[in-house]
Amino acid sequence: MTNATPAPRKKRFWSMERKQSAAGWAFLLPATLLIVLFSFWPMFQAFLTSFKRGLPTALQYSDPLYRNYAYMLKDKVFIQSVKNTFTYLIIQVPIMLVLAIIFATLLNNRDLKFRGLFRTCIFLPCATGLVAYSMIFRTLFTYDGMVNALLMKMGVISEAINWLNDPFYAKVVIILGLIWRWTGYNMVFYLSAMQGIEYSIYEAARIDGANQVQQLFKITIPLLKPIILVTAIMSTNGTLQLFDESVNLTRGGPANMTITMSHYIYNTMFTKNPNFGYAAAMSFVILVMVAVLAAIQMKVGDKR
Amino acid sequence: MKKIVSLILALALVMACSLALAAEDGKITIWTWDPNFNIKAMQVAKEMYQKDHPDVEIVIEEVLSEDVETRVITAASAGDISNLPDIMLCQDNSIQKFVLNYPEVYAEITGKYDFTDFAEGKLAYSVVDGKNYGIPFDAGTVVGTYRTDYLAEAGYTIDDLTDIDWDRFIEIGKDVKAKTGRPMLSGQAGAIDTVLIMMQSCGASMFNEDGSVNFVNNEACKKVLEYYKTMVQEGIFIEVNTWDEYCGTLSNASVVGTVNGCWILGTIMGVQDQAGKWALTNMPSMPGIEGATNYSNNGGSSWVFTNGTDLDLALDFMGMYRNVDFYNEILPSTSAIGTWAHAKEGSNYQAGNDFYNGDAIFAKIVEYTSHVPSNTTGAYYYDAREALGTALTNYINGGDLASELQTAEDTVNFAMGF
Repeated sequence: MTNATPAPRKKRFWSMERKQSAAGWAFLLPATLLIVLFSFWPMFQAFLTSFKRGLPTALQYSDPLYRNYAYMLKDKVFIQSVKNTFTYLIIQVPIMLVLAIIFATLLNNRDLKFRGLFRTCIFLPCATGLVAYSMIFRTLFTYDGMVNALLMKMGVISEAINWLNDPFYAKVVIILGLIWRWTGYNMVFYLSAMQGIEYSIYEAARIDGANQVQQLFKITIPLLKPIILVTAIMSTNGTLQLFDESVNLTRGGPANMTITMSHYIYNTMFTKNPNFGYAAAMSFVILVMVAVLAAIQMKVGDKR
Repeated sequence: MKKIVSLILALALVMACSLALAAEDGKITIWTWDPNFNIKAMQVAKEMYQKDHPDVEIVIEEVLSEDVETRVITAASAGDISNLPDIMLCQDNSIQKFVLNYPEVYAEITGKYDFTDFAEGKLAYSVVDGKNYGIPFDAGTVVGTYRTDYLAEAGYTIDDLTDIDWDRFIEIGKDVKAKTGRPMLSGQAGAIDTVLIMMQSCGASMFNEDGSVNFVNNEACKKVLEYYKTMVQEGIFIEVNTWDEYCGTLSNASVVGTVNGCWILGTIMGVQDQAGKWALTNMPSMPGIEGATNYSNNGGSSWVFTNGTDLDLALDFMGMYRNVDFYNEILPSTSAIGTWAHAKEGSNYQAGNDFYNGDAIFAKIVEYTSHVPSNTTGAYYYDAREALGTALTNYINGGDLASELQTAEDTVNFAMGF
């Protein structure tokens, strides 16, 4: 430290290029380490846990190793939860994305008055907490709740529907909730992507005599393809991990008819006799499902 | 050089913090929930204890029941229980599950505390493998409580509902429904509190003595589900979806009454403008079942202890729960009925209750408590509860009872098979 004389110049080990690349790595290192430490390492540990069984604090490797995974195939509640989750996925995601595109197209119109207001209104549900909105939906759809009262006043139904205690209607309520909560979120992605589409293209199309619908299908949707792919993957991913709505809106009932996979995993860990290994194994099955679905969507959606 | 110094300082700070946690002593920390019930009781106990022990610091923290459970699981999984309090409240139905799964968290207190004169059935919840793990607190003794004005409208009095069986109850219920348009009872769909209350009143449980699940060959269970379905179909029992709705049916008087643990009195007596309109009696019994009674239990909690340095001090403090004055003091403000036999000797237990037209309801409830048949729980209590709830929902919607019970039993056996 006290050595003031500079070292004699020899052939430098730290060439300019190496220096820059080292700096790059040095900047990457902290974040990478943190991600590995707090995300990948626990995932690896959870993967090991998924092969274990026994008391929560004294887990042992099971015999055979795949025991937890094999049990899933025989677990009726788990299979029911998979069915429920895929019902939500297949019905809700397409409806939501189509609605989001329609809203985005409408709100992208330059001549529309109060555009900002409408955009805010549709995006606003995304600012509500998942638990909060689930509770409010539950209140709205109770037997003597507002929705029943409204529908009966309007003469749509003659007798109150027990929404949350009917296997079919309970699913309907969850899907309605999801659409209300997430349509605006996806719309914002489309809107921002639409800003990137040159307005003159539409003007040209109009001069050529294309109507609104043709503009949508021939210009907007093809140009939005990458972002539609992204939202589809995100929505699929989100739906497969659906938790708050199942827990707070319907409590998984009636008779497990609305329980989602994540909700069942939570129950396995925290309300029933704790079974960490089985819960971890189910989590990995969800991971695989998400990965497979995302891969399929990429293959289908990306034709370059 | 500066950097090294600051690094050492930071390390020292971290070490100092962790030492501070480990050295915590001479202070009792308590986790419990409900400011009007459990917390209030502990505050009274704290004040009474500190009169004689002014140097003992007692901290009561409000932690919800679910949060207590989640925190225990987290702490135990991390292998560090130093952040858990000395005393925690635990739902009676959860004690077995937690002690069996996390034996290193809970302190065994057999022989360290005097358990004589606590109600036998209540004490059983916190005994695992013959060892004591908890000190009983409140009773969940079931009461039947009804609006006298609606009963009178249909030509009945509370005496007509005392010491009866469910056949007679359904008969009265149909009549009351026809004359007043009101169902007798309400309950949460899928949550099977009422079913379990009826089962326990027969002395039946969801489990056999050896811990195996008992649905298919459980006569009491079948009978209870049949009666429950009848009541729902006759409109005598209205199923609602949430707990709030259930409380709502009581406060807005859309039902005639309720059959539930005596802690529901807090909710009922909270509606001041209904004072004088309620009466209290025991619950109906199940006809045709040997050993069926008019008494049962629903809910209630016990105090459990963390394996830690302050156990002796905490147990000394818990001596309050063997003190007539303590139970007497907490009764008016909390309606918490003690399960220690001598609790009823306090003057407040004998006094009439204004809300109930001067009826000495607490003395009645203590009397009921002594008749409650005991119940077998176990680590798989909530698994069984959920499975039975599913069976009940399907059965009401037209499923076949025998096969639904078989499915429920298979579900629980499946969980036990791990």
